[in-house]
Order: sequence, then C-alpha cells, then structure tokens
Amino acid sequence: MKITEFHIELSKENVLAAIDVSRDSDLYEEIEYEFEEMLPQAYEKIQPAALLAFGDISDYEIDHNGEYETTALFGINSVGRGLSEWSTQLFAEGDYLKGMLADAMADNYLFQMDQAVQDAVVEMCREKGYGIVRRLEAPQDIPISIQKRAFDATDAAQEIGLGIKESFMYDPVKTVCQVYVLDRNISRFHNEHDCSKCDNLTCRFRKIPKVSVTLKSEAQEYKITAEKGKTLMQTLQEKHIFISAVCAGRGVCGKCRVRVLEGNALITEADRKFFCEEELREGFRLACRLYPQEDMIIELENREDEGFSVITDQEEGTASGETDSRDLSEQKTSGQKSLHGAAYGIAVDIGTTTIAMQLVDLESAEAVDIYTAINRQRSYGADVISRIEASNTGAKQELQQLILQELQDGICSLTDRKNIALQRMVIAGNTTMIHLLMRYSCETLGVYPFTPVNIETVHTTYQELFGKLSDRTLRDDFPITVCPGISTYVGGDITAGMYALGFEQLEKTCVLIDLGTNGEMVIGNKERILAASTAAGPAFEGGNIICGTGSIPGAICSVELNDGDARVATINDRPAVGICGTGVIDAVSELMRAEIIDETGLMEEPYFKDGFLLARGEREIRFFQKDVREIQLAKSAVRAGLETLISRYGVSYEEIDRIYIAGGFGYKMDVHKAVGIGLLPAECEEKITAVGNTSLKGARKSLTESSAFSAMQHLKDHAEEVSLSDDKLFQTLYMEHMFF
Amino acid sequence: MGLIQEISEYLQKGRAKNVKALVQQALDENMDPKEILNDGLLAGMMVIGTKFKNNEVFVPEVLVAARAMNAGLAILEPKLVEVGNEPVGKAVIGTVKGDLHDIGKNLVVMMLKGAGFEIHDLGVDVEPAVYVEKAEEVGADIICMSALLTTTMPNMQNCIDLLKEKNLRDKYIVMVGGAPVNDSFAQQIGADYYTPDAATAAETAKEAVLKKRA
Repeated sequence: MKITEFHIELSKENVLAAIDVSRDSDLYEEIEYEFEEMLPQAYEKIQPAALLAFGDISDYEIDHNGEYETTALFGINSVGRGLSEWSTQLFAEGDYLKGMLADAMADNYLFQMDQAVQDAVVEMCREKGYGIVRRLEAPQDIPISIQKRAFDATDAAQEIGLGIKESFMYDPVKTVCQVYVLDRNISRFHNEHDCSKCDNLTCRFRKIPKVSVTLKSEAQEYKITAEKGKTLMQTLQEKHIFISAVCAGRGVCGKCRVRVLEGNALITEADRKFFCEEELREGFRLACRLYPQEDMIIELENREDEGFSVITDQEEGTASGETDSRDLSEQKTSGQKSLHGAAYGIAVDIGTTTIAMQLVDLESAEAVDIYTAINRQRSYGADVISRIEASNTGAKQELQQLILQELQDGICSLTDRKNIALQRMVIAGNTTMIHLLMRYSCETLGVYPFTPVNIETVHTTYQELFGKLSDRTLRDDFPITVCPGISTYVGGDITAGMYALGFEQLEKTCVLIDLGTNGEMVIGNKERILAASTAAGPAFEGGNIICGTGSIPGAICSVELNDGDARVATINDRPAVGICGTGVIDAVSELMRAEIIDETGLMEEPYFKDGFLLARGEREIRFFQKDVREIQLAKSAVRAGLETLISRYGVSYEEIDRIYIAGGFGYKMDVHKAVGIGLLPAECEEKITAVGNTSLKGARKSLTESSAFSAMQHLKDHAEEVSLSDDKLFQTLYMEHMFF
Repeated sequence: MGLIQEISEYLQKGRAKNVKALVQQALDENMDPKEILNDGLLAGMMVIGTKFKNNEVFVPEVLVAARAMNAGLAILEPKLVEVGNEPVGKAVIGTVKGDLHDIGKNLVVMMLKGAGFEIHDLGVDVEPAVYVEKAEEVGADIICMSALLTTTMPNMQNCIDLLKEKNLRDKYIVMVGGAPVNDSFAQQIGADYYTPDAATAAETAKEAVLKKRA
C-alpha cells in the first residue's frame, strides 16, 4: 500500500521545542517569526510518502514472550529530500537557525505521518486476520539490516525512488522504518510506538509504561505508580498529593522543587534556571518538568507552603514590618478556648492562596480561636485563571472537594471535633473561589463578557453544601451564608472588607485596596462606590520572583544597602531562604537609592546578568533584573488602577479621607517604601493604613450583626464596576507608572 | 565602548544586521581586518561558545550568534585575503561513507568557523580516500569525521588506516564525533580526539592545532 496524501500541519510548538526554544526564551518571538516565514516554502518541499507491505522476519530474533507469525508488516515513511537539502543549503549559506528549523520541521512531519498511517496499518492487518503483537524500530529493537528487508518488501526503490546504503541507511535521510510483529489474535493491536524505548523524553505524545515512584517526606514514605508520559507533578495531582504549583506547571515559578534521591532524572532547561550545578548534582529538579522514566525515590520538600503565614484580623496592629509569622505546621493557635454552652459561629475567608477561619463567640462577637491553612487548590495553579481553566477542563468536582475538605478540617479543628455546637457560618471569598466552592460552572468567568453564574448572597446549610463530607450523625445542621460580590472581578471578599470598614455608613470618601494577585480596589462612601480589579500578579506575595517565597520563617522581609552590600532581616531571624513581598519592595527601594536600578528599571552591570546578591543562606538569594520588571508591572498596575478610580470618581487626593491596604502583604508593608517605589501616591502617605484581612473581619462581623447582609446588599447595589482593561486612561497611566 | 567591542556584543546577541554594519564601519575607518576578526567576531563567538558549554545559553542563541558572525565574515573576508590573514588552522570535515546524517556535522562546521578555522566541508557519504586527498590538497591541519550509525562507524577506522598506509597519520590531527561514538571507540581506532558536542569540538580543535605547532 502506498499513501501520498497527507493533511499534516507542522506543529510550531514541537518544532521550536526540538531546537530548545521555549516560550520564555528571549529569542522566542524572533524564531517564531522565522518559523512562520519558512512555512510556505517548507510545505512545498515536503513530498510525503508512506509504504506498507508484508514480509518475512523468520530469520530475525524477536524479543517477545509468546507466539508470533514469521510474517511481519513493514512500514516506511519519508518526507522526501526537499527539506534536508534545504537545511544543508541554509547551513552552507550561514543561516544556521533556519537550517536547524528546516531539519526539525522534517522530523516533526515524519512524527505526525506516523500517527496518520496507523489506521491503515490496523486495517491491513485486520483484512489478513492478524493482530499486532508489538512494533519494532531499528536499531534499538532489531538490527538495522531489517531496513533492507523493509525496503525490498515495499519495493521502495520502484514506488518512491528511495535509495539504501550498504549501511542500511535510507536515502533521503528523513525516512524511517517500522516493523509490526503479528499474531492471529485479531482483537489486539499493539501498533503504538514504544515510548519507553524512545529517547525523545519530553515528547508530548509520550505514553504509558509505568514506573514506581517512592515519595519521601520528613515523616512518611509511600509508593505511587507513575505513567512515564506524565510529569511527576501531574501524577502527584492525580493522586491528590499536594505540591506547590504557583505557575500551574509551566516551569517558570520554580516552586515545585523535589529532590531525586535515587533514579535517573534528566536535567531540563527549566531546571538549570532554578538550580545551581551543585543542587542539580544533589538531585534537585522541578516536578513539573520531571518525567520519571524508571523506578525512583523522591523527596518532597514544599517548605514554602508548610510555613505559609496567613493573616487573620487578630494580628491587626502588631506593627508593620514585624516578623511574626504563624507556622502552619501547628495550624491552630493557642486561643483561650474553654467555653461551653455558649453559642458559636465560624467566619471564613477563602483566599486564592490561603484560607483563614475563626471560631467566634456570638455573644461577645470575639474570635476565640483561629485556623489557617493553605488553599489546596493551589496544586492546580496559584492564580484564579489557572483554577478557572482547571475547572473548565474536568477538575470542577475535584476543586470543590479540595476546598470542602479543607473547610471540614477547619471546622473539626475549631470545634474539637464535636463538642461545640455551631449556630452559623459566614464565608467570604473572591468570585472564582465562591464558584469553585459552590461548584458553579466557571465557563463564563474566563471569557468575554466575564459573567458570573451567581454573585448574590447564598443561603445554604452545612449538610447541603458538604454532602457526604459532613458528619451528619455527630453534628446538628447549621446555616451557611456566602457574602455577595459586586462582579466577576470584585467579589464577596471585597464586599465583606468594605462592610468591615463600615463603608455603608461613610460620609467621606475612602479607598480600599487588596494588594493580592487580583489587585481589587474600591473607592467611595455610603452614596456611591466604584470598584475595579487590576492584574497585579503575585509579585507582592513573593510569587514570580526568582528567589521569591511566601511570608515564611527565613523569608527576607527587609533590606538595607550600605556601600553596595546588602544587610537583610528575615522572618524569625532564620537563615535566608527567599524573599517575600515586603522584602521585594525594600530591595527595589534600596537598589533605586543606590542607583543600581535607574528610573527605567534597568539594572546596571554586572547585576543585570547575575542579579544582586542579597544574602547567602542555604542558597544564594539574589534579586534579578526580571524581578525588577515583575515589580514594575505589578506596581504600575495597582497605581494606575488607583489613579483611574480616583479620576473616574471625580475626587482629588485631598478629598480622600483614608486609603486602607488589605491583604497579607499589605499588612506588613513599609508604607514609606511602598510610596517610594511609586506603588502608592506620596501625597496620601499619611492617610494610608494597613488593615490586614478585612474579608475575614467582615465575615466575622456579619456573624453577630443582624443588619450585616442588608448592609452588604446596600454596598453591592451602590457599587459600579470600572473595567480597567479597556480604559484608555488606565492604559496611559499604566505606561506612565511603569518607571520609578 | 570601542567599535570592536561593540561588534562582539552585537554578535553575542545575534544581531546580524548590526554586526554587518559595524564591520563595514570598522573597515571604513581603516581598522585592521585581523583585529576586527579576532577581537570582534571570533572573540564574540568564543564568549557564546563558553556560555553554551556552561549552560548559560542554549542552541538557539548559538545559532543566531553564528549567523551574525557569518554576516560579518562575508564583508570581512575579501579584506582578510588582501592582508594575507592566516586562519587558526585548516580543517577537512565530512560525514563518513554510508552515512547521510548531516546536521551534527554542520553544527561542527559552524563552530569551527567561529573559532577561526578555514573549513573544507566534504558533505556526507564521504569515502575515506576523499578525506585524505582533500587534506593533502589544501594542506589541512585537522581531519574531522562524523558517523551516526554503528554500521558506518567502521569507516572512520578505514580512513585512519588509509592515512597510516600512506604514512600520513602523524601529519594530521584526527577528530571524530557522532551519537554512537565515544572516547574508547576513538582510542580503539587510533583517532586523536573525540568530542561530545560542536562547541567542545571547536575548542579542542583550536587547542590541538596550537599544541601541534608549538
């Protein structure tokens, strides 16, 4: 059989990957352009031909336990000589890049041809009453002389003018051969390429064979089975084993580090970015880039999340820049819980990164105990966009279960399993978190016009929401209320925050900014409110910063430069492990002062290339040019958003009474330095107050105040959203505030 | 920054147009073509080659840098001939008989050029005798052979045997490379050097030539 009709599109992604061009390469766009430019000519030069024919293999030893026929099916695929000749010519002309691209294009086409002929392969076997036992490729599975056998059997010289050398190499070079070993079991077709024997380890079509991976953490050790075609991260996620995946597995955040104790793990380009030679030798790899190919033992670290500090409003006023951090390994703090018979409620703030819960005495309206945890949905990505994508691609139920389980753990912990009777619970969270909690479809959240399924107040009950997770027999059912949101981008956490600060009674105009990933902000008073969100990104929380980390023990939280040397302070005075949000602001502010960063954000040599050394802890903590850029993007997004809101609201700086900064980061922020880098307006420095977790505070307040939900409804009704993404003023300001 | 230094910098960034323009400018300013070559183009390639070996840059960066070098070289070459510039060395290179793989060999050619060699590329499927004849004809210092198949590797041996037969073995440095080739194979067939990648090949070639001349 001869096939010459193929409808194959070259895969840009795979061709570029084949020559080591990843999306984050500086050359990506240039090379992408050249690829596109070459395409029309490339397609003209490709002359695909596939041949299939049966032939004898009785004189070959085949590694197979079980019976097989002496007749095999031979396949030959060729893309002709056009592309290879072009490649040679380009090299001779000195256009090495295009030469490599032409060669990689030929490989990609061949690869796709292989997939395309498989239907014909199965059909031919079925007709003759054969099943396929396995597929062989020379020289790894069978001596290369088989290529001559295939050449003769398919009459390739006659059919497509193929040549063959004494070495059994085909001419043209971009020609491959497959041998399908057959038997009489027509129900089985193992015609697939055996990925485990192929050396294209990062191939995205790589499939199956399983290996055993032993996971070790401090206390535990357990075995899981991993598919070779999947990354360790994918496998861990499927098995519900938590791993930090801030960038959702794109290999750019470096947070999913694991250590390979035994077994061979290829070093990828991404690994080299995050680990030094020594670390690589010690076996450190990114789980999102690691394809286990053999049995291995892996150590999980996840230091960051174990010690993530969660800000609850209890910590308010313990001074900014202080180094108190709650170690999550304890999870529960020492509240003075002793009361029996009293009525209790639980206030919940579901953040994208962290969850905070408080047990509240309904009579005194005071929090008597708190519970904090990492939002385990983080294993599906750090930002809401990744979660929306995950929900839309089949993980909806999974995501709901993760959050419910976390809340259930919190409830049990706060109530000592069952001794305390709960009266009610109030939940605040951003719109995406609430959608995931309620298992609403997130389909419309991520696409224009970004409409939510529901942002009204939700009244449900424990048993209804938690379903089989609820301990029905042990606990009386109680009502759960979810705070209403303003829009897809400004959610119930902000409404609750405004309520906590009493916006519904304000005469004067105030501003509330949540300095998290979504950068929500509102301006207004009891009469009128404008709300917006701006893509600040996680930089202020230490995310997307090369040596960034959460507010954990050892995180650099302040930086001082003297004669070009950095002196840093870390949380709990532990050896430096990374740099957190406040440290990032300090670093930028100090580097500016030392004129190492100019007003455009450019770092001077030699720091441009190697970064600026902040500290030597377990590893070197450096601050890089890329980090400065991240901060520039983040701070100008926040600042431009704020300025746009102020302008749209029609007030001046003088008319603003207060600017409240909410969120874990904002709470520890050095206001003076934040103003210094242009994150917030200098004119208002005196009016800026860090207020911690206002979302949780609002939820707590609403447990005891009967007017709470009518107040939040009032805020919602009087709020209007300003869409910044298509706002001309915002865009102008965004560019303006990019510089320092 | 001096003009020469600028040429090197732009080359490292793969800016062919800038390199071309600056080489022209340097020539217009009557700078020594040898200096433009050695301290501009070749120095830049050396930096890229070292960075590649240290994993600081990857294949694409090397490709665009080499392309920029080539663009500069095209303008410079006539002048170099005029002033009688001697290359670092002369290399004869090809993929052995029976083997049509040429990408690996092409990358070595690229890097050797970047190291200042005069290259005589024999292409693929090269008979042992052809290497020897060409080397004799051009007065080469090095013979480089590439093979990607176990069935074609023996042809490297055949070429070395032929050199011995003609009493020319000591006259040339013999370098071998290719996926199935390794150090012990190189020793076994009596080659002088095996290198695992193109950047190392260029570096080794340069050192070997200097050592031989010393």
